[in-house]
Amino acid sequence: MPVTFTFGEFLSARSVIGSTLAELGETHDNLWALTPDIGATLVEFREKFPDRFLDVGLAEQVCVGIAAGLAYDGNIPVVSGMLPFLSMRALEQIRTDVCYPNLPVKIIGTHGGLVGNGGSTHYAVEDLALMCALTNMTVTSIGDPLMVGEVLRQSMAMKGPIYIRLAVGKSDQVLYQPGQHDVRIGKGIVTREGTDATIFTHGTTVAQAVQAAEALEQDGRSVRVVDMFTLKPIDADLIAQCAEETGGRFVVLEDHLAYGGLATRVADVVADRGIRLTAFERLGIPQVYAGFGGDEELRDKHGYGLAATVAATRRVLAAQP
Amino acid sequence: MTAQPLTASRDLSVAELEELSHELRTKLLELCGTYEGAVHIGGDLSAADILTVLFEYGMTVDPDDISNPQRDRFVLSKGHAAVCMYIAMAIRGFFSYEGIVSSYGQLDSAYGMHPCKVQLPGVEASTGSLGHGLPLAVGMALSARHRGQQHRVFCLLGDGETGEGSVWEAAMAARSNRLGNLVAFVDRNRQLMTSMAEERVVFEPYTDKWAAFGWNVVHVDGHDMAALVRVVDELPDPDSDRPTVVVAETVKGKGVDFMEGNLAWHAGSLGKADLERALTALNTAFEASRTQKENV
Ligand SMILES: Cc1ncc(C[n+]2csc(CCOP(=O)(O)OP(=O)(O)O)c2C)c(N)n1
Repeated sequence: MPVTFTFGEFLSARSVIGSTLAELGETHDNLWALTPDIGATLVEFREKFPDRFLDVGLAEQVCVGIAAGLAYDGNIPVVSGMLPFLSMRALEQIRTDVCYPNLPVKIIGTHGGLVGNGGSTHYAVEDLALMCALTNMTVTSIGDPLMVGEVLRQSMAMKGPIYIRLAVGKSDQVLYQPGQHDVRIGKGIVTREGTDATIFTHGTTVAQAVQAAEALEQDGRSVRVVDMFTLKPIDADLIAQCAEETGGRFVVLEDHLAYGGLATRVADVVADRGIRLTAFERLGIPQVYAGFGGDEELRDKHGYGLAATVAATRRVLAAQP
Repeated sequence: MTAQPLTASRDLSVAELEELSHELRTKLLELCGTYEGAVHIGGDLSAADILTVLFEYGMTVDPDDISNPQRDRFVLSKGHAAVCMYIAMAIRGFFSYEGIVSSYGQLDSAYGMHPCKVQLPGVEASTGSLGHGLPLAVGMALSARHRGQQHRVFCLLGDGETGEGSVWEAAMAARSNRLGNLVAFVDRNRQLMTSMAEERVVFEPYTDKWAAFGWNVVHVDGHDMAALVRVVDELPDPDSDRPTVVVAETVKGKGVDFMEGNLAWHAGSLGKADLERALTALNTAFEASRTQKENV
């Protein structure tokens, strides 16, 4: 089934989070929003439900711990903040206080990947590896601002925790017009159809993968783009299907360490299922502390920008079975 | 290890230090007016007098001898004030100000939003994630003790930052290890990123908290240069057995009326038009404080 794709307008994912939580707060009187001094996203919720809003100040560990305590008592807490600090400072709280008792705490935040030019203290580049390692955790990474709202809504029915990763979230391009794509936690999205190779990606690099596929279209190559926005549980059936339908040619592109994130998840499925591939390339952040610079500049510098994506996909397309 | 003795702190007058502080603020605003991205200008301006007194007066450091083992160490725990530290250090002779403005935040620049020791030698620690600096400073002070060295370790924290549990774990460790060679400054501007202090997080009674951890507590107006000089002059001997915290009462955005106490200026960009407005405000405030002093 061919999927038509057009880039949409730019929206702020943060404001979508804010309005979605404010909307969900109406229907769920046990929904709480917590933050460690990163409260701008939650203003709408705070104004509507001041007694279900908690800003603990600079204290990520306690923020997650309190969320777990609230969840023990039947509440649904959303912890919103900056992911480098939530995923690392509060890692043990996430693992032991949230995941171990399998509580419905949602961790949502920004600064996933080399974004925002804050330097390595402010880039979450290991977070998906860490979160995927945690039993009971559902792990997502989202590039489309409207999709964040959809994922939050769906997650209300979940019994356990979910991690929702965004880039900066101030201005992101709409990729999926409402109703045109089936967004379901746990299922990959075929963003763009193709038959010669598949680029698997998530988050900010979905748009870049589409641009690479469009560039290769000029050469008469048909490249599929799969937005694997749920890294865990991974959509293994879709990976197997893509291997079959696109000549076993895979590129995995992500704004995360090249080892430990989606590429590792895909490679695990390939190994576990004994899928035969023709070629496999991974594009992501190498084992270096990335330094300063604009988002695109850093992707180019570290070898996973648009040009590198086109080049890697060409290599994969040229590989002989 | 043989090392050249470092020259002790320089003998600058309070008025000269005030001029240097004004220069620091002016240069901060210029950068905030030309750089396209956001600058943490509020917390830079609140820390400017503290950084000036430390780099120009209080600390024994030498820009031409940055690895001398006897130098005082400085850890910027509130790493988002990096550019204020870079410029204060530039004024002291460590770096070139032109180098900072021309490359700040650019690809491959050593001068980024948060300090990186690897990329920028002269900076003592890579920080930016709040709550890390004081533990690092405790380690450095402990090492100095162990080696029988006489230098001090200074650390600057934000008051919001002291919400992090690690700060208090370090406070306890510092007292337990009797680190009289450790001096923490808290930039007590009573603002966090998205709230005012006491609004959501209750810090008071603040100096009592440090005292309860067994620290020597000094409470000072963080914009009164004469008072800051006295604090530095009267620091306990590094061989003493209690760490010192200087709780410096400051104003976030100090010197620029439309930024002072305004949550919108935790971080921001001025642009050309507002740069003029900000510089005028800063100069007016500086002249006013000078006239006031002359009249006393
Ligand atoms: C661990 C951590 N959490 C969050 C942030 C994001 N952040 C940067 S500055 C800041 C507010 C800091 O307030 P304060 O320590 O009082 O600094 P100041 O007001 O002096 O700028 C926040 C939340 C961070 N850098 N590190």
